[in-house]
Amino acid sequence: MIFGSRREKEVIKLIKEHLNTVLQACEKFKTGIERDDEKALKDVCELEKIGDTIRRDIALKLYEGAFIPAVRANLYRFSEVVDEVLDTLEDCAIEYLNLPEKLDEDVKAYCVTIAEINLKMSRDLVLAFESLEKKADLKDVTLKIRTREEMIDKITHDLYRHLMQKDVDSFWKGKAISDFIVSLVNVSDLIEDAGDIIQILNVSMR
Amino acid sequence: MLESLIPLISCVLIAFSIGSNDTSNAFGISVGAGIITFRKAIYLLGVLVFIGAVLQGRNVMRTVGKELVVLNLKILCVSLLVSAFVIIFANWKRLPVSSHQAIIGSLVGSGFAFGSVVRFDTLLKIVESWVISPIGSLFLAIVVYRVMEDIFHRLPVFKVERILRMLLILNGIIIAYNTGANELATALGPIVCYGILTPLQAAIIGTVMLWLGAFMLSERVVETVGKGITSLDAFSGFSAQFSAGISVLIFTTLGMPVSTTYCIIGGIIGVGMLKGVETIRFHLLRKIMLSWVVTPILTFGICCLVAKVISPYI
Repeated sequence: MIFGSRREKEVIKLIKEHLNTVLQACEKFKTGIERDDEKALKDVCELEKIGDTIRRDIALKLYEGAFIPAVRANLYRFSEVVDEVLDTLEDCAIEYLNLPEKLDEDVKAYCVTIAEINLKMSRDLVLAFESLEKKADLKDVTLKIRTREEMIDKITHDLYRHLMQKDVDSFWKGKAISDFIVSLVNVSDLIEDAGDIIQILNVSMR
Repeated sequence: MLESLIPLISCVLIAFSIGSNDTSNAFGISVGAGIITFRKAIYLLGVLVFIGAVLQGRNVMRTVGKELVVLNLKILCVSLLVSAFVIIFANWKRLPVSSHQAIIGSLVGSGFAFGSVVRFDTLLKIVESWVISPIGSLFLAIVVYRVMEDIFHRLPVFKVERILRMLLILNGIIIAYNTGANELATALGPIVCYGILTPLQAAIIGTVMLWLGAFMLSERVVETVGKGITSLDAFSGFSAQFSAGISVLIFTTLGMPVSTTYCIIGGIIGVGMLKGVETIRFHLLRKIMLSWVVTPILTFGICCLVAKVISPYI
């Protein structure tokens, strides 16, 4: 097929699947830490594996020549960043499961709030990609992503201030909590990066 | 019959050279962007070159072979042999030489040297078209770019990308057609008008040789040009190529032998002017303009010299 629209449609379909996988993983993760649900957290790891397969399929289709180069490189980068979101969520889930002891309720409340904002951001990311596809207004949705990311930054600073007032029994316990929080916050940074790439894609053909 | 072999072989070499070097004008961007494979592009090129040579090639053939110089076998042999040599040498050394200018310069040079009638009104028309065609392409590129910007701004990015892919193929089709109707016709005009081959025979032999040149030697040039242009900007590449295609098509209809490459350069300058004059590489432009002036003068001079040297022996 000379105009190759089949390959392009397949890539768009796979990207949507990829984004829905992120959305599901964010939901599972939030449920997992909110209810200390081990199964939900293990599901996040399964979703990460599914995401890996989708990313490989996207890369393969792009390598076969889907889209012109001006778009191709940005789509490839986008799928990589989306996959990094899933990788980071998996890290979060494993780090949460491996915590030496349960989080204090006040610390957990902060983490659940961050996980909830991450979930909203992943919904915004799905909407942003749909807007890109349909030429709806992208500005509002990408602005929302940025605002939510700023909210998470603010919450994180509060959380660290709060944590610094607590005693830590051992170095490893403190490190485990810190690593978990770093990964949790990193999710929002990556979603914001993915949103930025959507903006780049939007202007790549202008 | 044996004497006819020299111009015939020269034409065959020129057609082969056009195929190896100018295929990139038609499908370079599309192949580089991965819209069409090199193999498919080559087959499409072959078909379109043949159609172009058969449908509209006669206009340009008449101008070059009949209306410019009153031909005889000596003029034919010297001019086409010198043209073939210059074009192949330029390709080998990667110099920006237009096959049209080499052929026209050689024909006028040898016609002048052998004392034949050179119709300066036709020559003037040809030179005018060499000036007007890139300038026309320049202004057309500005209009095309502006219109596209206006229309595509309202469409979703993936739809724009899809339309652009179709338009790039359309561009390739127009330019491949022009290659047959103008570029190949310029090379074949003298031998057709002198009666060595019929227009159909010339179109078949010319297309086969051009296709072989494209098949055997053009892959690297196509990929280099394609990737080089698309990495700059897809819209600019398209606007420049499309305006060049339309410009050459108009001049082909008028029977004027004009260069697609120069028209594409005109189009690129047009888009560059839209984006700011500072984006234009003037040192490169000077080099191209120098070649534009030097090529016909050089081939004219070489033909005069060759004709003077061999005249006592033939």
